[in-house]
Amino acid sequence: MRRRFLVDTLATLALLAGARGAATAQPTAPTRLPDPVAPPPARPADGVHPTDGVRRPAADAPAPPPAPAPPPFEPPAPAPPLGAVGGDALDPDASAGTIAATLGLAFGPVITVDDIVVSGNRTTSARVIERALPVARGDVLRTGDPRLTQARWKLLALGYFRDVTIGLRKSRQRGHVVLAVDVDERGTVALNRLWFGTSAVVPWWLGADLADRNFGGTGVGVAGALAYASGGPVAGARAQWAGELRLAAPNLGGTRWGAHATVTGQRGSEAVRVSGPAGSADPIDLAAFDYKRVGVRAGPSLALTALTALTGEVRVERLDARTASITSRTLPDGTVAPLDLGVRPGDSRVVAVAVGLIRDTRPDPALPHAGARLELSAEMGTSGLGGSYDFAVLLGRYDRFWPVARRHAVGLRVAGGVVLGDAPRFDRLHVADVDRMLPPRVLGLTTAVTPPLRVLSGQRADALYGELGGNVLGEYVYQWWRRPARIYGGDLFVAAGLWTLTATDRFGAAEHPVGSALPIDVIVDAGLRIDTEIGVFEFSISNALGRVPR
Amino acid sequence: MGRPRLGLAAAVVATALAVAAPVRVAADDRPVVRTMTFAERGVAILVTTDVTNLFDSAAYARLDDGLPTTVVVRLWVYPRAGKRPVAFQLLHRQLIYDLWDEVYEVALTGPDGRRQYRVKYRAEALKLMTSIDHLAIAAAADLPYDDQFVLAVVAELNPVSAETLAEVRRWLSDGTGGGLDRGGSFFGSFVSVFVNLKIPEADRVLRLRSQPFFRPRPAP
Repeated sequence: MRRRFLVDTLATLALLAGARGAATAQPTAPTRLPDPVAPPPARPADGVHPTDGVRRPAADAPAPPPAPAPPPFEPPAPAPPLGAVGGDALDPDASAGTIAATLGLAFGPVITVDDIVVSGNRTTSARVIERALPVARGDVLRTGDPRLTQARWKLLALGYFRDVTIGLRKSRQRGHVVLAVDVDERGTVALNRLWFGTSAVVPWWLGADLADRNFGGTGVGVAGALAYASGGPVAGARAQWAGELRLAAPNLGGTRWGAHATVTGQRGSEAVRVSGPAGSADPIDLAAFDYKRVGVRAGPSLALTALTALTGEVRVERLDARTASITSRTLPDGTVAPLDLGVRPGDSRVVAVAVGLIRDTRPDPALPHAGARLELSAEMGTSGLGGSYDFAVLLGRYDRFWPVARRHAVGLRVAGGVVLGDAPRFDRLHVADVDRMLPPRVLGLTTAVTPPLRVLSGQRADALYGELGGNVLGEYVYQWWRRPARIYGGDLFVAAGLWTLTATDRFGAAEHPVGSALPIDVIVDAGLRIDTEIGVFEFSISNALGRVPR
Repeated sequence: MGRPRLGLAAAVVATALAVAAPVRVAADDRPVVRTMTFAERGVAILVTTDVTNLFDSAAYARLDDGLPTTVVVRLWVYPRAGKRPVAFQLLHRQLIYDLWDEVYEVALTGPDGRRQYRVKYRAEALKLMTSIDHLAIAAAADLPYDDQFVLAVVAELNPVSAETLAEVRRWLSDGTGGGLDRGGSFFGSFVSVFVNLKIPEADRVLRLRSQPFFRPRPAP
């Protein structure tokens, strides 16, 4: 034991000495190691020299010392071909993780996991941690089994811990071990969104969405959002508020099944154009109607794979709209056209079922340079279940990034949706959903009627809501910096694309050109994304434009 | 108009502050220049060096934790003034400490195949994991006489696959869960403030670059 301690101590000192040596780039004396990969010693330095311009004779080169190579206890096996690990291996900036996963061996002694001991968890229940582990008590496996390698990452994937250390300890019998898990918890409260701004119709609005991903250490996510918008100069307008409470248990009983539920409430005041030219944001051309929404949505989720999840949802919502005062719109030529507000006057109900699919393979969602995110959602509302609206909403989004060179990547972002049938106004596509240069809705509240910028369209787009819409953007990303702490990284990006939205609340469509009913226009954006210790931020031109009252 | 201007100004100031420091640290990715020993044997160019600096004292101590330790080393030969590698080599090394027999099992995979060793001491195991001894890195014929080349080495300790990284970071993009703000969360980009743990692609990464070398034309 003493000899072993001495050897290890000396090796540690050698490590530290080696670190200093590297800093000065001193050559190290080559030592012949028992590496069967290495070919037999060559005649050194006969033909290969440092480029100091001096041709060195062979004798100048250090000769490899005769090193006793311990014989391998297994004969060499053929190495997997390079193609087995993919072309990524050739990219100096690509992760070597795929190589490690491909070439990794399930070798080592066979062990039995007698117990799992968790330490360091101040708030998170040990049961939550054990359920997330890919191994359990009684499992028999080799110490090189990928499940043990993955255990640390499975725990980190919960998002509850700053760091996780896993090790094996001897148990009572030979071959039996205790899996020791030490976690370092981190704050799990997140500010998901922050809304603020001003517009011609709403003097100011403010809102926030807060979440705790590990409420009370139970592994259940609890989130709440609240927003308030002041009343404005529009006739009939009043102050608006909206709130919601969300619960999510992603892994019920350690299974791939989860559940989520959301309770929502809203007291809104929706401004619509009742006179004036197309796209007018002048309060004198607008009138507002009041509405209330109270609803519940809940359903299961299923993790199909580590990166793919399927969700289901049932939604029941009560809607009370006071629309009696707004029935028509007076056009600039004096024509009076009926208005489709997309909501039943008085009380109505929305009963709908929905399914969704999310697959996200981006290694870094904050600063993506590779991978893809696919999100599909389908919702169907029906009077057959007691609702007042028969409709279907299909939404899709696909983001894909390709690294094209060191620090450079290009991306494609496509998003779109279609609304079929008689969908409530609030379930239709909003123009700010597809044109990111407009102020977005705030928890479903409309706080601006800002018309989109006209670049391609000859006429100002008029519609706030539509049934068919989407956008497509090409994006170029430049990796400005990466570092291991505090401000992890920053990317500059430039994006350009097109958006469209077919308007269903258009009036007298026959009198208006196609450009008004189906506006197609450009989106341009540029900015900086920053991934930091305290969160992810994006500063962009579109975001700034969306906050400028127009 | 006052509020948006204030917000815009705050954003500009925050951006400026945020990017001021990183410009300085961008150079951290640059490889360390290391003098390596090159040799020519038959038709191959060989290199001798090591990646011992990949292990700090904590990583060295963790060799005893009974779980696998993996080192992936990739080596590229570049023309001194070029960006296109002319040769590539890959090494994969794995170590496991046998708690009961108190020996280190080391599996080395390289161009000559895969071999496994059992050694008694941690220092020996470390040496097996980090030494690169007379490794064939290029065919001599691929390196024309008198042209100058450099060897770039990237060694990674316990690298993580892209899929695992995606899984670990998935919670970042979980969004708001699709309540009232369905449109905003579905179409929009996310901006969140939270205590953010950055998962590195490997426990440690060592980037080395050799001194330039060349093959002198043989004497007639």
